[in-house]
Amino acid sequence: MSTAAQRFLQDAAVKSADLMHREIIRRGMDSYDVAHLKGRARIKDWEAARQKCQEIKREAINHVDRYLLQFEEKVVARGGHVFWAANSEEACTYVKNLATRLGVHTVVKSKSMVTEEIHLSPVLEKAGIKVWETDLGEFIVQLRDEPPYHIVTPAMHLNRGQIAQLFRDKLDPSIVSDDPRDLMAVARRKLREAFFAAEMGISGANFLVADAGVVAISTNEGNGRLCTSVPRIHVVVTGIEKVIPRLEDLAVLWPVLATSGTGQGITTYGTLIGGPRRKGEADGPDEFHVVLVDNGRSQLLADAEQREVLHCIRCGACLNICPVFRHIGGHTYGTTYPGPIGSVLTPHLNGIAEFKHLSYASSLCGACTSVCPVKIDLAHHLLQNRRNATQAGATKSSERMMFRAWRSVMLHPWMYALGGWSARTALRVLYGLGLAGSIVDPMRVWNRYRSPVALPSESFRARWRKGLGSN
Amino acid sequence: MGQTEMTQTEMTQSENSSRERILERIRTGLRTVIPEPAALASDRAIVEPVVLEPVIFEPISNPLERFQQECVSNLMECALTADSAASVRQLDEVLQSLPDGEIFVQDEPSLRRLVETAVPRRAIRWSSQGAPAEASQATVTLAEALIAQTGSILVTAACGGRGASVVAPCHIVYATTVQLVPDLATALGRASREGILERNSFACVISGSSRTADIEKILVQGAHGPRRLVVILERSGV
Repeated sequence: MSTAAQRFLQDAAVKSADLMHREIIRRGMDSYDVAHLKGRARIKDWEAARQKCQEIKREAINHVDRYLLQFEEKVVARGGHVFWAANSEEACTYVKNLATRLGVHTVVKSKSMVTEEIHLSPVLEKAGIKVWETDLGEFIVQLRDEPPYHIVTPAMHLNRGQIAQLFRDKLDPSIVSDDPRDLMAVARRKLREAFFAAEMGISGANFLVADAGVVAISTNEGNGRLCTSVPRIHVVVTGIEKVIPRLEDLAVLWPVLATSGTGQGITTYGTLIGGPRRKGEADGPDEFHVVLVDNGRSQLLADAEQREVLHCIRCGACLNICPVFRHIGGHTYGTTYPGPIGSVLTPHLNGIAEFKHLSYASSLCGACTSVCPVKIDLAHHLLQNRRNATQAGATKSSERMMFRAWRSVMLHPWMYALGGWSARTALRVLYGLGLAGSIVDPMRVWNRYRSPVALPSESFRARWRKGLGSN
Repeated sequence: MGQTEMTQTEMTQSENSSRERILERIRTGLRTVIPEPAALASDRAIVEPVVLEPVIFEPISNPLERFQQECVSNLMECALTADSAASVRQLDEVLQSLPDGEIFVQDEPSLRRLVETAVPRRAIRWSSQGAPAEASQATVTLAEALIAQTGSILVTAACGGRGASVVAPCHIVYATTVQLVPDLATALGRASREGILERNSFACVISGSSRTADIEKILVQGAHGPRRLVVILERSGV
């Protein structure tokens, strides 16, 4: 059994050398960059907007118990149900039992990363319930039996040709066109049957608005709208950290989320739902359930340094800007939440020992921190996770020995000089024999895919003595 | 309160053993003190209305002009009409361009007048008869407000229900200029004060027709919802 860290290294090596993958991601990120900058320019004072969003989320998280209870009270008063799930199992069991009790055969889902986190779909399918992902990107990765590649654009690792082929294989062999419009039309036709057949719609939530007691769902395609309008049961599965104090907070959160997520001024549908269909309303579900998932989140509240990780609004901006994500792609992380936010969050949710390597898969360049719309200091949290992993003794004994050796070399100039001389001499011999990048090359990690860096003829100290320092 | 008269909250609580545990964990976690930045000396400052939006967003001097501009960038159609006769003609024109088939209309007196003048030959399903049919060619509704800042319409369940703005390939909104509000903050603030979400199980801020960019980040207009969003915006008499 390979560990998560070994799999990560293997997949990263494969993906970063996959030129087609790199080309697809480069193009996708390029168009995101253009849209994102254009979107930011539409906001008069972007920094003030970030500041405001940070304040809203800080207020919400610092009183998350109070705001959740306020939300719950409103929803329950309207005839909705609120279920608090301590972990994935409780959340999945609740939804499964509800579906079984109410005779559900088909479920339509709109995008929800929390349902990915708790692995809800496999649980429902095991109970004999058909689950349709209805967001186009999610639908594509579901057909491929893959997890989402990206938290906002789940299928951004595929080009139109690959998607057309997938649709031919799985839906209709007569599909010819690979025009995105035609592919969307195929998905629309297929999924419309599902929308009108399903008894239950499952959605996520972008925000839980405490004072109004409503869930706020941002979608562009309208699938989220149909999931929450047509079936007779609507279930919201979301994290406890999604709560915000006031309805008016959306006046800044909505534009900022849209700008950071896709570069839009605002998402096409900002839906607010507070309960089941009321008497006199033309349509809407008869049952409304909100599943509030903790799954490790409440532990983060006690972390004085990293509580703010719960401010995240899942816009994906830190993934898009991350040079590491751009090279290794979303699946390599092997986590529900990839990219910088995932590398920070996953060790908290799934264990530091197994996922500490993610904190090292970063150049600490700080690009993530600079774009985060709620100003989470992601780069420093990665650094803190490294420290936490070391303090927890999660490092290998060989690594600790190496660092002890390094320490004594750094403390003894003669050892450092000897080490430098040996390395230069040995590498010169090795490179001379044409063994750079081979299995015996200690610099193999670097030299495998690159020409070796030219070796200096003498040490830095020798050059310093010859007057390097006076220049 | 007698045992037989358990409120729904209490029932939910008794079935949900994790509720108290999670709340306890939250409260324990929150006891960890985090130094607040100087700017946030008190929580009160955040909870009370702070007029920050004008600083964040460009103030809107001409809501009508702004709304029309934003409609263009949101890929929605906005037809400004002088009076109800012009609105009827506009509605007729839009409906003429659509394939044959039933349309769904919010059951409301002004829409009854408008639609019954404009479409003598089409089957009409009124919202009082229930949800729109899957095969509806268009839906015609009112809006609660129009938001200039983002080129959005605010609809609620009262505007013909939930499906009325999403099921058909074309959604037509009949509105008047008096319904224009400058920005999201105003629209949401008003919704909050007027208790719109107390009276409706659903509300939605709609900014354009449905769309996706999930394939190669290429924009496709008309995903699962309407391909066309048409606002017939009638100038209100002064």
